[in-house]
Amino acid sequence: MTHGKSFEPKPYSNPYLVGVGLGLVLLASFLIMGRGLGASGAASTLVAVSVEKIAPEHASNNNFYKEYLGDGSTNPLKDWLVFEVLGVIVGGFLSGTFAHRIKLTTEKGPNVTNKQRLIYAFIGGTIMGIGAKLARGCTSGLALTGGAVLSLGGWAFMFAVFGGAYAVAYFIRRQWL
Amino acid sequence: MMPYYKFEYFGFDFSLVIAFIIGIGFGFALERGGFGNARILAGQFYFYNMRVLKVMFSAIVTAMLGLFYFAWIGWLDLSLVYIGDTYIIPQIIGGLILGIGFVIGGYCPGTSFVSASTGRYDGMIFILGIFFGIFLFGEAFPWIESFYNSTNMGRVTLPDFLGISYGMVVFLVVLMAVGAFALAGWGEKVMSKKTGRGVE
Amino acid sequence: MKCVFEKLTIAQRLAIVAILLGFIAFVIGNPTDKNKITVNAKELSLSAIQLKDRINTMTLADWLIKEQSDFTLVDLRSEKEFNEYNIPTSVNIPIEELLNSDLMRNQKIIVYGNDDITSAQAWFILKSANYKAVYILNGGLNAWKNEILFPKLDANANEEQKAEFEKVKQISLHFGGTPQIVSGTTTTSVVQQSQPASTPKIQAPVGVSKPAGKKKKEGC
Repeated sequence: MTHGKSFEPKPYSNPYLVGVGLGLVLLASFLIMGRGLGASGAASTLVAVSVEKIAPEHASNNNFYKEYLGDGSTNPLKDWLVFEVLGVIVGGFLSGTFAHRIKLTTEKGPNVTNKQRLIYAFIGGTIMGIGAKLARGCTSGLALTGGAVLSLGGWAFMFAVFGGAYAVAYFIRRQWL
Repeated sequence: MMPYYKFEYFGFDFSLVIAFIIGIGFGFALERGGFGNARILAGQFYFYNMRVLKVMFSAIVTAMLGLFYFAWIGWLDLSLVYIGDTYIIPQIIGGLILGIGFVIGGYCPGTSFVSASTGRYDGMIFILGIFFGIFLFGEAFPWIESFYNSTNMGRVTLPDFLGISYGMVVFLVVLMAVGAFALAGWGEKVMSKKTGRGVE
Repeated sequence: MKCVFEKLTIAQRLAIVAILLGFIAFVIGNPTDKNKITVNAKELSLSAIQLKDRINTMTLADWLIKEQSDFTLVDLRSEKEFNEYNIPTSVNIPIEELLNSDLMRNQKIIVYGNDDITSAQAWFILKSANYKAVYILNGGLNAWKNEILFPKLDANANEEQKAEFEKVKQISLHFGGTPQIVSGTTTTSVVQQSQPASTPKIQAPVGVSKPAGKKKKEGC
């Protein structure tokens, strides 16, 4: 660990310790709330709310958006996942600040331009959004949470994610290596 | 008795505060692990940095053991811990698609928020991509709905499915994780010798 | 032995701890044995003294009329008895199947049998198994029949009592009962009945009333 006045980004922590820490956060969520973590659900809520603002009738006729809008008695943004994701943003920022890792930059491999990377990021995000909704979860909610409670769907999903990623990795290697 | 929320130790509004605090812990841990950085995340799939596997499985094992033991000493009512229904086919297909998106985009939803919060433009664009993907899904939903709701097996856990005891599954998962860690460590060493650069 | 442990990396130490815990879990098998319960005698006796665990028939009748659905009404008797008559909205869970049922520990549960004894036994079992909100229908089905289905008014009752009885009569009729007026040894039904007073055939929808469930999404 670097001491003193250096503002060099600190090296990342031992992954196993980080994993145990993450596991404890997840456990706390189970013990306090009776549920695990998540991320894609909050994004879905935001999308549903936006669609509703722009085209309310369309939103209320669509079974998918309806689920996230609720019955109208409470503000759909008063949602556990939305608040949790806000916390994730703050927590990430705090950790990055303490470790001097805040930097306005684009992460990419040496063989692509920033612009190409951003295009890939957008495409990747889109694909992931579709996959997450189809699977009813993402790595945080389904793989981590579902994995810890030994849900069959969670484990099957996790293997599928690794499988899909490894299968395609070779073809995208230019972006990273 | 736990889970506290299900026994009404506090109400919905306070649970949102809890959500925020837990989220902070989640985001903090993710960033600590380097998951705000797409190159580290992608490294998993090229074997040069196996952090994703190490962190994920350590987290799962920790939480899994915690759940088992808290239930065993009678502090936690396991039946009140949420386990979603298993929709086996959509979840496998969704997982494959998500994996593809992961390696192309370099993030998953949770890590993309952490990445954006530490200033990465690619994380921010990725989030926009997620919104767009969800939007496409929502628009196409009427045609996908029946597939989306197909093969619902209900709440199935591995012990149920495999017909073995909970404790045995726990043990097997631990063994599998430790085995995977050993392989991962070996893979990293091999890769770093091959490419001449260290584990990032 | 100790210095071997110290030479290992953090990761290896964690792995050993995890494997150990995993092995112990394997030996334990299932973390929850539904059939074993731990009785907290002090808690139970305090609960008993406070009389908070009893619900009167009138109160229950009131809740049912108002269609309050934040509780689950459990009929502890046999299936045969249940099919002959059961209080509307109740579920049939014979006492021996209580711990195997779908009942959740955070539900509000009201139990009844023909009398108080079975309910008290069920109350004991459920409370010891950590069900948090268990109530006994005071008097059981016998009280329900006497007070709700077939309430009786003495013919010599005064005005105040007659007024009270009016209210009870309405409730009784709601549940298909037959209010009666007793004078001496004769009992006449208030309502014109061609048949003798008998327990009404109930076609009430029988289903588990879930606790006030705003359908909360808990997925991700």
